[in-house]
Amino acid sequence: MTGISNSFWPVRLASVVGVVALCFALDRVVLAAAPAQYRLLILASLFVILAVSLNLINGITGQFSIGHAAFAMIGAYTAGTLSKNPTFANMPPAQLLAVMTLIGALTAATFGFIVGLPSLRLRGDYLAIVTLGFGEIIRIVTNATESLGGSYGMPVAPKVQLLWWSLLMMAVCIALCRNLLKTTHGLTFLAVREDEVAGLAMGVNVTMTKVVAFVIGAAFAGAAGAILAHTEAFISPRTFPMEMSFIILTMVVLGGTGSITGSALAAVVLFAIPEYLRTLTDAQGKAYEMNAGLFMGVLIGIMIAVAASKWIQTNVHEKGKKLGFYAGAWLAVIPLGFLFQTILHLSPTLKQLSFGIDILRYAVFAVVLIALMLLRPQGIFGHHEIGWHWFRKRPAGATEGGAA
Amino acid sequence: MSEAQPILRLDEATIKFGGLTAVNKVSFELNRGDIFGLIGPNGAGKTTCFNLITGVYKPTSGEIYFQGQPIGGLAPNKIATRGICRTFQNIRLFSALSSVENVMIGAHLRHKVPLVGALMLSAKSVAETSALREHAMHLLELVNLADYANHRSADMSYGKQRRLEIARALATDPELILLDEPAAGMNPQEKEELLYTVRRIRDELNKTVLVIEHDMRFVMGLCERIVVLDHGEEIAQGPPDAIRNNPKVIEAYLGEPA
Repeated sequence: MTGISNSFWPVRLASVVGVVALCFALDRVVLAAAPAQYRLLILASLFVILAVSLNLINGITGQFSIGHAAFAMIGAYTAGTLSKNPTFANMPPAQLLAVMTLIGALTAATFGFIVGLPSLRLRGDYLAIVTLGFGEIIRIVTNATESLGGSYGMPVAPKVQLLWWSLLMMAVCIALCRNLLKTTHGLTFLAVREDEVAGLAMGVNVTMTKVVAFVIGAAFAGAAGAILAHTEAFISPRTFPMEMSFIILTMVVLGGTGSITGSALAAVVLFAIPEYLRTLTDAQGKAYEMNAGLFMGVLIGIMIAVAASKWIQTNVHEKGKKLGFYAGAWLAVIPLGFLFQTILHLSPTLKQLSFGIDILRYAVFAVVLIALMLLRPQGIFGHHEIGWHWFRKRPAGATEGGAA
Repeated sequence: MSEAQPILRLDEATIKFGGLTAVNKVSFELNRGDIFGLIGPNGAGKTTCFNLITGVYKPTSGEIYFQGQPIGGLAPNKIATRGICRTFQNIRLFSALSSVENVMIGAHLRHKVPLVGALMLSAKSVAETSALREHAMHLLELVNLADYANHRSADMSYGKQRRLEIARALATDPELILLDEPAAGMNPQEKEELLYTVRRIRDELNKTVLVIEHDMRFVMGLCERIVVLDHGEEIAQGPPDAIRNNPKVIEAYLGEPA
């Protein structure tokens, strides 16, 4: 065996021990310093798992899937149903959560295999429709099944909230995807995304690759769902609405399809924004109200700034000038916002109308996506990874980023 | 398998698309170590012939034998695994990936570590990936692209992309390599280099080469035997000199004598 350096096993051991220790340490620190955020951090890590696992299907293998919440739902309901079984009655909570995570993942993986099969014949939009339909079928069937609690939902017992476990699962998910991309196996997944015909001609088993991507992606979504069920101790079809699939997809697209670290970061940010908006309340605990006219005015201003940025991107090439133009365009949002507010307030109905500020999140998602598609369609990080190499000198002759 | 057995044999291979017979009862044989030319006017069915051999299409009738085994209708990736690899007329690289990654994908057929090993990033899979990368670099050197290993393949010039496709095809370690218009879009000097590269592929790597090309000087200078297609029919077969003077071939290319 050649090519293995002597430091391979020590480094491997150190990194695994390090990651596990870090998960535990974070768990303790959060519990001591910010117990109120404990549950939110679990949910954030679950969204990272969902985004990274969808990225494996969407970004790395290039199979456009928009039913990811359904896999999480399958995992959650599997855990919710099975943990009622007397076999698990006396199990310690951590062990129970681990077992449920595993079973949830296996069940979701089975469904991933079933959805993966039609994807062998379908491409692009057609596959998207099938996965969308699959997601809806799962949700509606659950909604109509009395033994699963129907539309009311079902309580999950026991309630187990363990941040270290969800962090560990997140680390495993990220590590597996990263490992895959470090080997030639991962390159065959990228080959399927880039050009199926050429991939086939190079001997890539395209069918197998797609199914594997679906199965692994679904398994992690199922694991996340199972953890979610025990964290919240209650699940219903409303826990996994269709918009959840779209939010996960937004995370992947925003972070950069194919970039694991990018989608992980986007997941945290997009999870945090609505949660933060929800905390903005006045002394009575009521959400702040925002005048509809001002809100729409600012929105129009932002869209103008986005359009201007697009124009600057294509027409201004001098660096300093470009920066100045961008600053001007975005600063103009404020006066534009008030200008349009004045115009909109000509309508008395709009003048009276106001929104709760938490509703802003829908607008934030929409505006961010539109801006992204116009200005940087490859996502914020494109195909690049965030990592130490950003701080290293680039080797001569290397292209921007190099690997996907 | 005896040495005398042809490496590739088309036995009246035919494909029909609805009413159109794109390739009609074409038969020819390649011996191990041949550089064999496949020529004909536009629309003669040359690329369709390649698609039949590489499994993109299943022959309507007739059979294709590779190393004595029938391969007609096998999936393209199965055929690649058996040892036939190709380049594409309209370049089909994995455009977002770097040159060396393109070649490594070609080389993936050589890897033995299962997927689970890759997911765990086992010591073996790390070693294998670096070995494949080294092998890929070697092939890039062969086509004079070693300096461009980390360049995004889509950003390279047309001629370089064509050479990269050859390196990628070679990485699958095929017995037979099919080149679909490898010289298209190249300048005379690049063509000269390509001629040299293809000869090296045969002489040093012991591959058999089947090449489609429109540049007659290139084909005549490179190939030892040539088969000519016109409207899906085989109209001539033989060494370059015989083909050059064959009246049927001249007619196919230039139209009826005035």
